[in-house]
Amino acid sequence: MTTKKSESKVKVLIVDDDNDFLNLLENWLTNEKYDIKRAMSGLEALNLVGIYAPDLVITDLYMEGMDGMALLTELHNDNPLLPVIMLSGQAQIPDAVKAMHLGTSAFLTKPINQNEFFETVRRVTSSLTDKTLLNEFTKNIVYKSKEMSDIIEMARLVADNDVSVFISGSTGSGKEVIAKAIHEASSRRDHRFIAVNCGAIPEQLLESELFGHEKGAFTGANVKHEGLFQAANGGTIFLDEVGDMPLALQVKLLRVLQDFEVRPVGSTKTYSIDVRLISATHKNLEEAVENGEFREDLYYRLKVVPLDIPNLADRPDDIPVLAEHFLASYARNNNQDQKRFSPDALKYIVSMPWPGNVRQLINVIDLCATLSKNKSISLSLVKKAVHDDPIQMQTLKESKQAFERNYLLSVLRITHGHVANAAKIAGRNRTEFYKLLNQYNIEPAAFRNKKPVEKEVN
Amino acid sequence: MSDEKIIVQVDPDLEDLIPGFLENRNSDVEKLRSALDDNDFVNLRSIGHSIKGVGGGYGFDLMSELGADIESAAKESNADDIREKINQLDDYLQRVEIEYA
Repeated sequence: MTTKKSESKVKVLIVDDDNDFLNLLENWLTNEKYDIKRAMSGLEALNLVGIYAPDLVITDLYMEGMDGMALLTELHNDNPLLPVIMLSGQAQIPDAVKAMHLGTSAFLTKPINQNEFFETVRRVTSSLTDKTLLNEFTKNIVYKSKEMSDIIEMARLVADNDVSVFISGSTGSGKEVIAKAIHEASSRRDHRFIAVNCGAIPEQLLESELFGHEKGAFTGANVKHEGLFQAANGGTIFLDEVGDMPLALQVKLLRVLQDFEVRPVGSTKTYSIDVRLISATHKNLEEAVENGEFREDLYYRLKVVPLDIPNLADRPDDIPVLAEHFLASYARNNNQDQKRFSPDALKYIVSMPWPGNVRQLINVIDLCATLSKNKSISLSLVKKAVHDDPIQMQTLKESKQAFERNYLLSVLRITHGHVANAAKIAGRNRTEFYKLLNQYNIEPAAFRNKKPVEKEVN
Repeated sequence: MSDEKIIVQVDPDLEDLIPGFLENRNSDVEKLRSALDDNDFVNLRSIGHSIKGVGGGYGFDLMSELGADIESAAKESNADDIREKINQLDDYLQRVEIEYA
């Protein structure tokens, strides 16, 4: 049990060439139940970091040989999110500015005040020690593999930092789950999380969806519309498939990220916004930048912290725990006893290539759970389910329908459910438009309140 | 210079560290004097800097102030000021008495 206790302590590496100062910090921190390692030079600290894996580094700025600033750079080369508190005997503003610019979490002047010191230590380690946040973070994410564990750790560290996070990964790999978890673990969790699929909304509507429009901004815009950026104010906006965003809109998005304000279509007024942006794409964005399809400046703005979610097939350790999780949730939702995969069926599932990733795994598991008459799901049933699984490739008709449905939802959202205006934008007469709405079972009245719909339908 | 004691209140948690800490400051005084004899202002500045940094954290605010004075006098190569401050530091160390509270 002792080991467990020491494992849960926050690990702090303190670096200073003054032994008396190290004694003081060690005494303070140990009394507050922190786990301590000390180093008397930047180099010694670097050597220790790999072995000790600290949660926080506290370093003096002026030291012989490698100084605090050089140490910070080296530490962040390896782990850009490792919190570092810099201490200096000189209250020189340029040093503090440079240190903050290089990513230091806090800058304190010596002689240090004990209260101020602990306030700072607690602040920069709060996201590590807050168990509620940790539980919140992992409750919706099921994983066992080292690959996912590294990503979760990175995402958890970055959650409360308010930096732009860029999630890459194939379709169905769980990008939105991670984005939502980051939002839930951040100080913005009491505000809204709005997910927008940039690839599912037609170019002409996307601008209005994101930034809003004034009454009369274009044909059919009879009501002023608040965009999703404004609706997400104080919270997080998740731009999925940002790689599909047209170039003209990329410029506007860049401006929003630079100035923290939006200008609705047709408006001369700008509105301040305080929104954290998380974006994602399945595309190779570097390639898109090279081909001139994606703005390089926007790319770097979005990609402050990149998280690359591996394909399910590249993290087979996760498959059994995910399978167990989805079987349990199927049983719960359908009020049934939980079924299990037979050993050979499980082995087969683990070895599958899963081109549709976790989303495909869910489909196959649901299909197996539905079709299996026994408590144990057989290999032959799994093979049949995988073969029949429609997710592997959508038909053209299915894709068209998905697009059409998203289009209708967008146009109704923008016109606040005004069918005549929506039909005008869509270039259809009202009768035809109503037919389409019926076909997709969409009720325009649902769009007549002011609250925007939170999620795109894929 | 007076013989009156200077009472400094120190956190009881630091009690074990204080004798070694004060011993090191006494040896700093010797190092400072020897650096002053050599007109080694770089070293004087560095020792002053470190006394400034460490004193206040242990509760010896005046010590930090004297360290800062030595550091800034060394920056200006002002030997007279430095000597005066070293004497003050020496005197402070002779008279200081700790109360753990």
